[in-house]
Amino acid sequence: MLRAAVEAGADSVYCGLRDETNARNFPGLNFDRAELIEATRWAHERGARVLVAINTFARAGQTDLWKRSVDTAVAAAADAIIAADLGVLAYAHQAHPRARLHLSVQAAANSSDAIRFYAEAYGVKRVVLPRVLSAPEIAALIKETPVEIEAFVFGGLCVMAEGRCALSSYATGRSPNLSGVCSPPEAVTFDRSPEALTTRLGGLAIDRLGPGDSAGYPTLCKGRFDAFGQTDYLFEEPVSLNAMGLLAALRTAGVRAVKVEGRQRGKAYVARVAAAFRAAIDALDRGDDTTRFERQLTDLAEGGRETAGAYRKAWR
Amino acid sequence: MRRRRTRPYIAAREPGADHDVLASAMIAWRGPVEALLTLSLRGLARRCPAAFARLGDHQASTYLLAPADMPIAFTLAPHPQHGAIRVVRRGAAGVHIARVSAPLVDLLALFDGSLDADAAFFCRSIHVEGDVGAVMALHNALESADLRLVDLLPLPAGHDAANAILARLMRAARRRPASGWA
Repeated sequence: MLRAAVEAGADSVYCGLRDETNARNFPGLNFDRAELIEATRWAHERGARVLVAINTFARAGQTDLWKRSVDTAVAAAADAIIAADLGVLAYAHQAHPRARLHLSVQAAANSSDAIRFYAEAYGVKRVVLPRVLSAPEIAALIKETPVEIEAFVFGGLCVMAEGRCALSSYATGRSPNLSGVCSPPEAVTFDRSPEALTTRLGGLAIDRLGPGDSAGYPTLCKGRFDAFGQTDYLFEEPVSLNAMGLLAALRTAGVRAVKVEGRQRGKAYVARVAAAFRAAIDALDRGDDTTRFERQLTDLAEGGRETAGAYRKAWR
Repeated sequence: MRRRRTRPYIAAREPGADHDVLASAMIAWRGPVEALLTLSLRGLARRCPAAFARLGDHQASTYLLAPADMPIAFTLAPHPQHGAIRVVRRGAAGVHIARVSAPLVDLLALFDGSLDADAAFFCRSIHVEGDVGAVMALHNALESADLRLVDLLPLPAGHDAANAILARLMRAARRRPASGWA
């Protein structure tokens, strides 16, 4: 997927190591040390950057794994480490003072004061904003922020306080914050009958779909439940963020980089999304209109539906 | 690596499949197909050891790949040294870690990464039963290997021309009306 992203025009690509130090700790997805070194070399030859996610929260008394991951990323000549845990940031800053550090969305730093703390304490150079701020709020924040800002523009949304979700651990005993996996696949089952497809997580029925209904990966936050005689989504509906129409506004606000969620997605998705945003940003550079790009990715959206999310807080 | 107990998934018999004449013919001629695909699999394991390493414990698992538009299915044992692909009757019972069914062209498109697996799953084009983690490991391993359709054949690396022909055949197959066996 890293190659697909770079060949489609991505400037930087996130990746993780094959353990619970990153928040996409899915089977078969991540790199071992040798692969990371090779992938970084390959990306650098093509002018792209590799950012290593070490963005879960280290377990007390077992922090060596996170420290080793930091050491591995630096040894592989990765362009930055993205982290959320204060201990991981502190170790990286002290052990590798020349390593570039980015702050993960999992740290949920949504104010200039919080961002300034991370910059001063750990030398963080870039912060990925949580998906809770409107575009005007981002513009105001950037005016008071001494570091680069990166903002999500496409992909899945997390309705919980980023980095603090307990739903997955409630259902399965594993969480994205500590184990690096939301709704781990070993806890997922799809029960098919002639009438319906029932998706379960940790034995809990998350949804029941008729023959014509589109399916989704069973996460508790996007489940449908019976309440007061109605069956409906309780926390959020399957929908993807698409801020393609806000690229110009985000650039004017001072956002330095835009981020596509979906490190666990396949090559076909990665290539299409990267290519679409590459083309849109290049069009923006030329002063061209980017409207024609806004509907290019709808078929890749969860549930076939898109939203600008908190960037346009229409519900206020 | 911490050992993880994998759950075997036992396929139920599908009524009516045993008496299919076409299935019988395909089973009778399965030898050369199995030999060719197994040779390809082992060649891939030699060329892409890192991809096979991503399978972890599932190197020892057996998957059932069931084209929805064919009366036969394939078992895949992706062991890096002893991997094998077998042709089985669609309705035959067997122990496997997971079952993936989809139209053959979609299974081939998943192989070379040209079809987004999540999107295909969301629109119910592919069906997954059994150990979802095992299927995810297989999918991610395949994606990491950057395979092409020509890698299904036991040819040395390269062969852009052969791949172009296979890709054209697949595009033509995608334009034909779908037929289902399920």
